[in-house]
Amino acid sequence: MKIWGRIYALAFKEVLQIRRDPRTLVLALVMPVLLLLLFGYGVSFDIDAIPMSVVDQDRTSSSRRLLRRFFASGELRPSGTLSDPDEAYARFRTGQDLGAVVIPAGFQARLRERRPAPIQILVDAADGVTAEQTLGKAESSLKAGAVVRRSRPPVEVRTYTMFNPELRSALFLVPGLAAYVVALVSVLLTALTVAREWELGSMQQLFATPIRRGEIVIGKLLPYLALGLVAVALVIGSGALFFGVPMRGAPGILMLNSFLFVLGMLGQGLLISVLTKNQMVATQAAAMTSLLPSLLLSGFMFPIENMPKILQMITVIIPARYFIDTLRAVLLRGTPASHLWGDTVALAAFALAMIVLSTARFQRRIA
Amino acid sequence: MNTVIEVRDLTRRFGDFVAVDRVSFHVEKGEIFGYLGANGAGKSTTIRMLCGLLAPTEGVAMVAGHDIRDDARKVRAAIGYMSQKFSLYLDLPVRANLEFYAGAYEIESPRKRVQEILELLDLEVHRDQITGALPGGTRQRLGLGCALLHRPEIVFLDEPTAGVDPASRRDFWRLIRSLSREGTTVFVTTHYMDEAEYCQRIGLMVDGRLAALDTPRALKRDLVPGRMFRVSNVDERASRAVLSGMSGVVDVQPFGTRLHVRVRPGGPEAPDLGKQLSQAGLSGAEIEEIEPTLEDVFLAVVDPTKGSAAA
Repeated sequence: MKIWGRIYALAFKEVLQIRRDPRTLVLALVMPVLLLLLFGYGVSFDIDAIPMSVVDQDRTSSSRRLLRRFFASGELRPSGTLSDPDEAYARFRTGQDLGAVVIPAGFQARLRERRPAPIQILVDAADGVTAEQTLGKAESSLKAGAVVRRSRPPVEVRTYTMFNPELRSALFLVPGLAAYVVALVSVLLTALTVAREWELGSMQQLFATPIRRGEIVIGKLLPYLALGLVAVALVIGSGALFFGVPMRGAPGILMLNSFLFVLGMLGQGLLISVLTKNQMVATQAAAMTSLLPSLLLSGFMFPIENMPKILQMITVIIPARYFIDTLRAVLLRGTPASHLWGDTVALAAFALAMIVLSTARFQRRIA
Repeated sequence: MNTVIEVRDLTRRFGDFVAVDRVSFHVEKGEIFGYLGANGAGKSTTIRMLCGLLAPTEGVAMVAGHDIRDDARKVRAAIGYMSQKFSLYLDLPVRANLEFYAGAYEIESPRKRVQEILELLDLEVHRDQITGALPGGTRQRLGLGCALLHRPEIVFLDEPTAGVDPASRRDFWRLIRSLSREGTTVFVTTHYMDEAEYCQRIGLMVDGRLAALDTPRALKRDLVPGRMFRVSNVDERASRAVLSGMSGVVDVQPFGTRLHVRVRPGGPEAPDLGKQLSQAGLSGAEIEEIEPTLEDVFLAVVDPTKGSAAA
């Protein structure tokens, strides 16, 4: 009972301070939604009408049919007909085209002899994301075109994209953004509040009371845990409202893993401020250690499977990775909870490690 | 009398630097114990060890019957601590600060006690004001209030009146004396020598060592033997040179535009000093015998050669 009395006193004091400082509330609740809208509307990986030049050296009915199929979807746009592939290079350099399709002479003849009939796709890969999309789209239109022509009876290839049929990047981004924004805000919040107590000297005053270190840690974390969870709910809610992000799975496991993720991030902020004891340094360290990893190493922007082995190994200790996995699974895929315990265990381990580490460092600082 | 603080060979080192060097003393219940010394002499380090905020390197200290090393939590529950730097929450109202510490110390019927403290320290009118907006003296009273909430046996006050105006300082010391009358032990550091006169006993810290410890009167008697004259109304530099060379004069210290001249027992009298000055062409000096102050004691301790301490 007495322990709870002290923790309650600490948490209540913290709530009073949060209420008196609108900046904290803005940082915790307005910032995430604002960032989500900004990123959600601003960052889109969807590209339409990619300009490609056409070099048709075959000039047969087969090559023309292929080209018609190629540009049928509208995602690729024929920007001009050239006679020489070298001219395509010139147009790349001036930025007129992002790609070119080259059909060499003898294309129809080879098809008739049922021999492989190669064609060439040139892509400007200076912008990697665009290049990848261009290639992907070119390949899928080509497959459709070529296979149909070769086989009798005609075989039609149908691609069915699961869970995000229009391949909208918003659906894919919102879970990543939720993790990113919540990570940033949670780490920052605790890093600031604890560092502020060091700077003010009130931490020393707390240490002169019978309050234990662990009680300070819990009393500090509780109000911000509530704030962080509200932030998660706000981000997921705005994702549904503004971008139509669904909720296909069990909310229970999502809540549990959100709780553990926020706890881990708050713990990380606490550890930072215990180590730095200074608001300026804490802010920078918090931004660096939460923003970069949850942006780059979490699978948010770049798929983890495509990373070099060393980076893949580093992502194992990035909690955002597990949270994004849970978010995508629950929101988009409707994965049953029983398949997400791995994420739960990883997130719990991280939160525990952070809180134990910061409590331990807390003590050593005094003696 | 019963001893509430017992310190034996207390030592704290920071790397090679010895902040507190084998300090031993004891403090009785209800005493006002003054801890004096220059900045960096080890006053705050001692207080922080006695409050269980800093582990001693060597030595033993019992505070309120508990070992500061093994029972730091029991020590903290029995003491109040007011640090040198104001360390309450500036963004909260006065009452919220008191209520928070009431919770932290797990006080029974906290509302009633907070009200008592507000009245005791004359903070009733400020109760809903934001702490950051209070003037220095009021802040210090609030700091003391937070340290007294749980009725501690001992309060440690680390330079409680630093940067506070003289009237507030006087009020503050009135409070300290009334606390002591009611049986609370007060351990206080200060560098205002006039405040030190209020203390029942004084420990003088010099470079981490406890150089002297006694009542103010005994310190003056033992450390500033002989008599003391105050010389005013003459050129301070010139007369200092003249008097320093005089036989029987132990020490000449400037105090503002005046000089404090210490003479050996049986040494020169006031007229002798005046004569010496007028012979040197310095006329019109006003000389009167004074009681030595604690500042004289302090200077005598800081420089035991008693020669040209401030040269």
